[in-house]
Amino acid sequence: MKAFLALIRREFIEHRGAFLIAPAVLVALGLGVAILAFTVGKADFRASGQLATFTPSIVFEVGFLGFSFGWALYLIAALFFYCADGFAADKRNNAMLFWKSMPVSDFKVLLSKLVAALTIFPASIFLAALISGGLLSAVVLAAALLGGGQGWASVAFDAGMPARVLLSYVNVAGATLLAFALGLLWYMPFMALVGAFGAVVGRWAIPLTLLLPTLISVLQWAIFGGSLHPFISSSWQFFEYRTAFPLVDGYISNWFGSGLPFDFTAFATDLLARVDWMQMGIGIVFSIGVIYLASEYRRRSNDN
Amino acid sequence: MTDLTSAVEPIVSARGLRKSFGKKEILHGLDFDIPPGRIYGMIGHNGAGKTTTLNAMLGLTSCQGTIRVLGEDPFARRAHLMENVAFISDVASLPRFLRVRELFALLANIHPNFSQQKAQSFLEGTDIRPDAKIKQLSKGMIAQLHLAVVMAIDAKLLVLDEPTLGLDITYRKRFYRRLLEDYMTEERTLIITTHQVDEIEFMLSDIMFIRDGDLILHMQMETVNDKFTQLVVNDPAHMEAARALHPVFEETRFGQTVMIFEGVDRAQLEPFGRLSTPTLSDLFVALMQRPTANPEPAR
Repeated sequence: MKAFLALIRREFIEHRGAFLIAPAVLVALGLGVAILAFTVGKADFRASGQLATFTPSIVFEVGFLGFSFGWALYLIAALFFYCADGFAADKRNNAMLFWKSMPVSDFKVLLSKLVAALTIFPASIFLAALISGGLLSAVVLAAALLGGGQGWASVAFDAGMPARVLLSYVNVAGATLLAFALGLLWYMPFMALVGAFGAVVGRWAIPLTLLLPTLISVLQWAIFGGSLHPFISSSWQFFEYRTAFPLVDGYISNWFGSGLPFDFTAFATDLLARVDWMQMGIGIVFSIGVIYLASEYRRRSNDN
Repeated sequence: MTDLTSAVEPIVSARGLRKSFGKKEILHGLDFDIPPGRIYGMIGHNGAGKTTTLNAMLGLTSCQGTIRVLGEDPFARRAHLMENVAFISDVASLPRFLRVRELFALLANIHPNFSQQKAQSFLEGTDIRPDAKIKQLSKGMIAQLHLAVVMAIDAKLLVLDEPTLGLDITYRKRFYRRLLEDYMTEERTLIITTHQVDEIEFMLSDIMFIRDGDLILHMQMETVNDKFTQLVVNDPAHMEAARALHPVFEETRFGQTVMIFEGVDRAQLEPFGRLSTPTLSDLFVALMQRPTANPEPAR
């Protein structure tokens, strides 16, 4: 276990640019913009002028959820590039023989990469989302405190406001954590597939993975027919279903604009009920199988 | 020419080791045992099969036949085997994104027989600082660092495949001196391949010559000294008499004829000229004559 954790740590060191430095720079930029906005008297960022006529905690919740969604998009993009690049990095960096001189199996090495993609990297981005939310809460509270009831932040600051914003923060942070965790498990087979292709063909893994559903769908259409064109086949429908994570339907779309405070419990109950757990389980088993096959390729790569 | 007799349990044992890439067979059924506590030089021309043989020992490639390292099948049990086997297959293979101290900290957790303190002590007196990024080190420094890493592993077998390739003579000599002084013990076995055979000759206890996938010589250095004799013939009148004793190799150097004999009594050769023990490189040239690579085979 110690060796496995060390392998995950080495992934983090190798890819800290995308998962630590870049998010830190983005958060620092956000902080800089916030400070600048206060300095020049535009703390409402223009857009919040209207929004601040609502309850500040709801403005904050919408903003924090927006940030979280943005960070989730960043995470998905970074993880897919990581899987294509990171699984091939040892070969590309000419370090394969060094890692093969270590008493760890190829399966353990590749599994550590996938586990890093599911744990330490998302944790880093989640931390960035939390900091962004903290920064936003500070802006909302400061705006209410400095200009409350004066037009652009028409709801005046009151003694209970920090507690309400804190409660909102906890609710949205919890929702972000849950959405990250379930989303990562849902998309795990795609990451494993990109990673496995990455171990074989390097950076070409992303186009290859994107091409795969088309290929399967076309093959199904060519062999079995039954539809006008390949993209209304059952396999294509399955891929469409499997690439869509049911996040914004249900509670989120009902809550948005309702004026009610964001409720983590309601969000979690709704999301957990709408996740296809069977597919999730199949996806996890598929991922481990694909990583095992890639590790066997890597084990024999001197022969390839 | 293969000396397989050994009373102790061998560290490496190969029987009928064959390897093919596509239709081309690279190793043609090697048989050898490597006992513990020896320093082996594995020598051969480019493409002879040295690296493939080493890769088979290290579990990096699958082969036909049988190979056992420390009693285990290296291809099936590579990860477990690497607890007791260390190797350098390419001096540039250290992960370049790490700092030296990060590398040591990771290895301390990954390798159960790696000592961080030892590795740091091996770097004392060098220009390599713990905070240095590996990608910013010179080639010689990376070789020193890699050697420090493998020497800090308490392994039973150390395999070095061209470890000093591209290094200048100062680094090469320092590399081998450190290896002998700070690492080798009676319990450890070292296998080295290099083209700079003269530089490692002083430290070898045994040699293996591989030519075109065949093991053509496998013996202890003492036996080499007894078995092979180099004769420098100055007097042309002795030439034919010497040739009658069937030298395995003959060439002309600066007007003198140099012959190498195998298994010929020195007393028989004494009257024909100056005798000496051939250097490894002389022996290499003598025994590695290949019709395809050298249009002038030994007479």
